[in-house]
Amino acid sequence: MSVRALKGNGRWWALAGCLLWLAFTFFPLYWVAITSFKSPLGVVGGPTFIPFVDFEPSLSAWNELLSGQRGQFYNTFIASTIVGLSASLLATAIGSMAAYALVRFDFELKLLTALLFVIVAFGGYLIGYNLLGLRQGPSLVYAFVAALTLAVGSSRVRLPGPVLGNSDIVFWFVSQRMFPPIVAAFALFLMYTEIGKMGFKLVDTYIGLTFAYVAFSLPIVIWLMRDFFEALPVEVEEAAMVDNVPTWRIFFGIVLPMSKPGLIATFMITLAFVWNEFLFALFLTSSRWQTLPILVAGQNSQRGDEWWAISAAALVAIIPMVIMAGILSRLMRSGLLLGAIK
Amino acid sequence: MSQVRLQQVTKSFGGVSVIPPLDLVIADKEFVVLVGPSGCGKTTTLRMIAGLEQATSGEIRIGDRDVTALRPGLRNCSMVFQNYALYPHMTVAENIGYGMKVRGTTKAEIEKAVSEAARILNLGAYLNRKPNALSGGQRQRVAIGRAIVRQPDVFLFDEPLSNLDAKLRIEMRTEIKLLHRRLQTTIVYVTHDQVEAMTMADRVVVMNQGRIEQAADPITLYELPKNLFVAAFIGAPSMNFLEGSLEQSGTALEFRTADGVLVPIPPSRSGKLADAVGNPVVLGIRPEHTMTAVPSFPTIPVKVADVEPLGPHTLAIGTAGSAAFTAQVPAGSAIVHDDIINVPIDPEKMHFFLKSTGEAIGR
Repeated sequence: MSVRALKGNGRWWALAGCLLWLAFTFFPLYWVAITSFKSPLGVVGGPTFIPFVDFEPSLSAWNELLSGQRGQFYNTFIASTIVGLSASLLATAIGSMAAYALVRFDFELKLLTALLFVIVAFGGYLIGYNLLGLRQGPSLVYAFVAALTLAVGSSRVRLPGPVLGNSDIVFWFVSQRMFPPIVAAFALFLMYTEIGKMGFKLVDTYIGLTFAYVAFSLPIVIWLMRDFFEALPVEVEEAAMVDNVPTWRIFFGIVLPMSKPGLIATFMITLAFVWNEFLFALFLTSSRWQTLPILVAGQNSQRGDEWWAISAAALVAIIPMVIMAGILSRLMRSGLLLGAIK
Repeated sequence: MSQVRLQQVTKSFGGVSVIPPLDLVIADKEFVVLVGPSGCGKTTTLRMIAGLEQATSGEIRIGDRDVTALRPGLRNCSMVFQNYALYPHMTVAENIGYGMKVRGTTKAEIEKAVSEAARILNLGAYLNRKPNALSGGQRQRVAIGRAIVRQPDVFLFDEPLSNLDAKLRIEMRTEIKLLHRRLQTTIVYVTHDQVEAMTMADRVVVMNQGRIEQAADPITLYELPKNLFVAAFIGAPSMNFLEGSLEQSGTALEFRTADGVLVPIPPSRSGKLADAVGNPVVLGIRPEHTMTAVPSFPTIPVKVADVEPLGPHTLAIGTAGSAAFTAQVPAGSAIVHDDIINVPIDPEKMHFFLKSTGEAIGR
């Protein structure tokens, strides 16, 4: 039933319900907004609700935040923006290519090949570290290079055992997001420090953080984009194939423009994930590339519960995403495919 | 020269064979229609010519080139799809010119080709519109325009008119025929609509379960169907079939069904049918050959179940013995349901098929 079909009192009840829900969802935001304008005394003195009536607004929290008394605010904001935008762009770009390949081409992967990779990678590392006396970093690199070479080589040979298809590959991607991120964050930190010991600094660098975010956004991007690509009419691409359009041009010139709403939605979701991410940023950064969630959380621990400062920092973390979502949702209009078929 | 030749081409998906070895030669400049019920392999055959499906075995040649292993883009075919498959984010002009642009043709040449195609297809006024601002018929014309500018060796049409309404379909039918006459290019056209096949083709290839049942010009298909399948598939309303056997009755032959319908066979036909005496056969007669009442014509009693007045004539639908039977009767006949009418049968237009193999006999 549509709301438009409601008559008389029903309409008013529906409106009242909607307004109640609106108030419910908006109140926390409102509370954060006014708290950021309260003086320390105003916060601890008991609840006040309306600026200029209940309490006299003060800019002290914002002054402290913007003047840098509360941590490297500008630096953090810029780091968050750069890492967020570049990681989501990269993840969307790489992930949509992978998703397209998984939709349009059939892959066959022997289970034995995958097992071989795992065994050689882990076994090689253990042997290198424990028996050959290599350091962690080099033995890891050697083991993975050996495992990859062996896996690629063995996939060309006839191997017994079950063959995995595209859906198995997608499941493998998505399964990376099934375990708690702390598992990966800890391992990643150890790996980054080991690589750092080899002379390639990754902890608290742009490359290290972006790389981690791209890797951890890819499963979601692939999963989402696969659905969008599957919904595209294959005939449009076939028409281009018959017309001798090269595959890369079909992808960039036809497939990507057709899935623009999907790309934007996926970019938005990835950006939100990266922007709000806390755990990896906590492990993998220390000062130079710290992100906003760390800064916001830091407000709590440094000098006790200073809610006015926390509120100002939280608002700064929220507002860019609200603006981004507002701009991008306009581009996410549906009906872009209209006219392609039927 | 753009002859298309399929030699012993097979196709199987996984372990399922959809096309047993198939041989088909399509002459240069010929308009060939592949027709058959859904799942008969006609679209798969077309897609194998286009290169969108790889033939499992066999050889496909276009002109004197062996294209079996070539990718679609190198076969110099153009394909028009049932659902148009336009690029939705490009204008009509960009849609038509995209292939040329990708191949690096100069802007002036593209413009010339696009405007020429637009002129042929009456699309001039719509060149700057996006496909979603076009009607179904216009969209299909854009798709045809995209095919024309390629100047292909072969045009491939995959049920291009199925999504259009009935009136537009008839218009486009004529347009495509005129286009063929003007462009003089080989066309392979797939449809499940036998009327489309009959009206457009130089030669119709009737397919069933991946096999070619008969390949001939439309009139031959209609008058001399090679077997039961073709006889039943071609013609609307479709041919009536009575199962029975041929029997010797004195010097003459007669056809008799188990439930007593009796059709004497005139001497002009009996000579070639004599071999089949005693065998179970199927008699086929088209509804349109049951209308002329000549005294010498044999008649069949038909119990009418329904009457369909169509204007030019009326269809009486009922049963002859136990078999379904549709008779065409003159318009304005005072027939109502539950009547039993005697339907005259034109003996020269009767078809006979062996029940065991379905093969036509007596011609």
